[in-house]
Amino acid sequence: MPKITLDGKILEVDKGTTVLEAAQAAGVYIPRYCYHPKLSVSGNCRMCLVEVEKSPKLLTACSTECADGMVVNTASDKVKAARRDVLEFLLINHPLDCPICDQAGECGLQDYYMEYSRARSRFPAEDKVLRQKRRALGPHLMLDNERCILCTRCVRFCSEVTKTAELEVMERADHSFIDLKAGKTLDNDYSLNIADLCPVGAWTSRDFRFKQRVWFLKKAPTVCLGCATGCLTEAHHNEGEVYRLMPRPNAETNTWLCDRGRMAYKSLRAGDRLVKGFIKNGLIDLEPALREAATRIDEAKGAAAVLGSPWLSVEDNAALALLAAAMKTENVCFDFKFETGIKDGILINKDPSPNAAGAALLKAARGGLGLDEFRARLNSGAIKLVIAEARAAALLKDELKASGARLIAFATNRGDIPAGAYATLPYASYFEVPGTFINYQGRRRAVEPVVAAPAGVKPLWEVLNKLAAYSGASLRLDSAADAMKGME
Amino acid sequence: MENILLRDKVAELEGYFAAGGYRALKKALAMTPAAVIDEVKKSGLRGRGGAGFPAGLKWSFIPGDAPGPRYLVCNADEGEPGTFKDRELILKNPHALLEGMAIAGHAIGAASGYIYIRGEFAAEAVKLEKAIAAARAKGFLGRNILGTGTDFELHVHRGAGAYICGEETALLESLEGFKGQPRLKPPFPAVKGLFASPTVINNVETLAAVPAIIERGGDWYAAIGNGKSTGTKLFCVSGPVNKPGVYELPLGVTFKELLEKSCGGLQEGKRLKAVIPGGSSTPVLTAEEAWLVKLDYESLAAAGSMLGSGAVIVIDHGQCMVKLLQVLARFYHHESCGQCTPCREGCGWLEKLLNRLESGRGTKKDIDTIVSVAENMMGRTICPLADAMAMPAISFVKKFRSEFEAHAAGRCCPPDAPVKH
Repeated sequence: MPKITLDGKILEVDKGTTVLEAAQAAGVYIPRYCYHPKLSVSGNCRMCLVEVEKSPKLLTACSTECADGMVVNTASDKVKAARRDVLEFLLINHPLDCPICDQAGECGLQDYYMEYSRARSRFPAEDKVLRQKRRALGPHLMLDNERCILCTRCVRFCSEVTKTAELEVMERADHSFIDLKAGKTLDNDYSLNIADLCPVGAWTSRDFRFKQRVWFLKKAPTVCLGCATGCLTEAHHNEGEVYRLMPRPNAETNTWLCDRGRMAYKSLRAGDRLVKGFIKNGLIDLEPALREAATRIDEAKGAAAVLGSPWLSVEDNAALALLAAAMKTENVCFDFKFETGIKDGILINKDPSPNAAGAALLKAARGGLGLDEFRARLNSGAIKLVIAEARAAALLKDELKASGARLIAFATNRGDIPAGAYATLPYASYFEVPGTFINYQGRRRAVEPVVAAPAGVKPLWEVLNKLAAYSGASLRLDSAADAMKGME
Repeated sequence: MENILLRDKVAELEGYFAAGGYRALKKALAMTPAAVIDEVKKSGLRGRGGAGFPAGLKWSFIPGDAPGPRYLVCNADEGEPGTFKDRELILKNPHALLEGMAIAGHAIGAASGYIYIRGEFAAEAVKLEKAIAAARAKGFLGRNILGTGTDFELHVHRGAGAYICGEETALLESLEGFKGQPRLKPPFPAVKGLFASPTVINNVETLAAVPAIIERGGDWYAAIGNGKSTGTKLFCVSGPVNKPGVYELPLGVTFKELLEKSCGGLQEGKRLKAVIPGGSSTPVLTAEEAWLVKLDYESLAAAGSMLGSGAVIVIDHGQCMVKLLQVLARFYHHESCGQCTPCREGCGWLEKLLNRLESGRGTKKDIDTIVSVAENMMGRTICPLADAMAMPAISFVKKFRSEFEAHAAGRCCPPDAPVKH
């Protein structure tokens, strides 16, 4: 293993490690624009130049492999001057429109200028190269070529990660610009990662731009529930509103995040968000809705059924299991066998639900029917009423319709409710309440609340608790975790 | 002395063959590749494209045990302003190039080679195609050369007009069908070049010198020239001389000899002001520095410039150095591939500074900025294009500062310059 001396420290690194990686591991930050750990090394921004003894020229830390005995200096006057000079070059044709730029506050040019330069410009404003200002490129992105520093991260992302290769650097020299290749549209499933990758304000998210200055945002770790992959994410929020979702890069699951996953927060404030109950098609307060649902459940007696859901947390599935026990029905199912695995080679899972593995825990602990058996009983007419989370119920929407069984559904958004549901009860989203999910790899992940639920909207376990109470039973739940008693 | 490269009556295969052509190939094919490389090493032949890297050494970098194909590429993308020797060589002596390539192919174990020729050289590309067809018909190229079982297929590929494609890795990108942009090194082409295979890239003039070296021996070639600068070199002389053109002379000839003996001296009434000795990207020399300088790799380096491609640009007192540098800056700004920040932004900045000065709108401060910007570009990019802009910029200002200052003071050009503002 090669040993190098970096800023006086002796480091032992694996063969093939670059100077930038070695420095990073030793806690020495080397500024960079074009380098990204998950993209090929292009070495073009020249921001990471470092001094290597016996090399007459400064070398790019991103592309220089550590060799035994190498002596690297990342803080010499020569290095500092090179950083200042590269920044000067990057800024001469930059519009310096920070006050109206949405990247301000998380901009590589601003940050590095403050850290490594603070020099006055020697370039007359009237000499600047003008390029095309913002224009929409694809459903999610806006491109401002004038702010671009041509690091080519976006180009490499599209050719190396999504392999859709929509982007290219056109032209040459300082009239170079990023553009779509002929006949392409930038609508791959991961396009918003480009806005994250862009170190400056060239690529911005059409969804997020101008919604919130980034220095007002607070960051809360969370998990994407868009499919069984269960990407780690970060919700950026302020004053009770989520403004965007970003990936929380990790070795287990994800570096990136898909565009659909990023938009998941939209359901919180969507027009179809449920804050009240529904009976048939009429809005109704939660309490009378619960009472009505309880009445129908009592009517159905032994012909009632409870369906778990791979879209619900382990705890809420456990609460459903308790409800089934209180109703003394054997028509209960926590069995959701989706084919799992990454279907696009990147992140999107064949299993569209986030917690089939979590629901399976309930099947193991509490038993119940297989999904096909449940389906068969529904078809046979033995089940007259089904209590289910809306998306799980939608899996059986044909059988529900054919059998005429009543559906008591739980939903966060009206759009999830299968047609013909008899009653729908609102519950709080997992951005608002805690829960445990198990992804396709079997990784257990706790989701913590990011924002508060709308007034009157309760966590599902509480809705179930009340529903049981209206039927004269008690689930004895004071928290989501209570439902797990006796299970672990 | 006799010319090795620019000879008469060898433009067609018959003439070339009659003059002893393709005998070296036969000889080389009977030698081991290592022996061929040794002979070229012994000759001291150095890259004629500009960098002057020893050719034999370059060939020996091809890993002997590497599986898969190897490639030989001839860089005929002659684009350095002031340079027009390869074109002449291709027109007058194309078979020396083809024979040299076949020998080099044998030496490095390449069964195919490419000649990447500048897009503007249409007639030259046709000339090469015809020469290749003629050589193939006689069994000097193609499959089973001269019945030896050795294959060497040669292809001509025309460029699309980018100066940067003369840089060897940009050339490879272009040859592979991509945008011509230099690659990060390492890996060097000898390890991972064309189609990710071991590749040697040599200039036209370098390869064309190989047959004579094989035929007459490395020692014979090494005896020509000056010290480590062996052999003859094609000098392309442009500017106000009586007989501009391409001249083949032993390395180490003085500028004075080249100017007076070969080029018939300066045109009447002209006074020598400066010389760019090795193509537009090499530092300029003043008349005093240039007059007795020996034109070879070491002597020019000692004089603070470079032999480069051997393009000798003669500048007389009627020329404005600010204007000349402005022309160069316009060229490099246009040709920068745009990949590396310092070159992409710096070339344009320099052109703008020079536009100001040249048009009388510049200041003294702009002169210092030119030097500072050029220095900030030097040695900080993937390929030497930034240096190619910076070196003339720094040397022009350093050596002819009074002309830049005259422009900054609104007086524009020196007394006998013809340009008036």
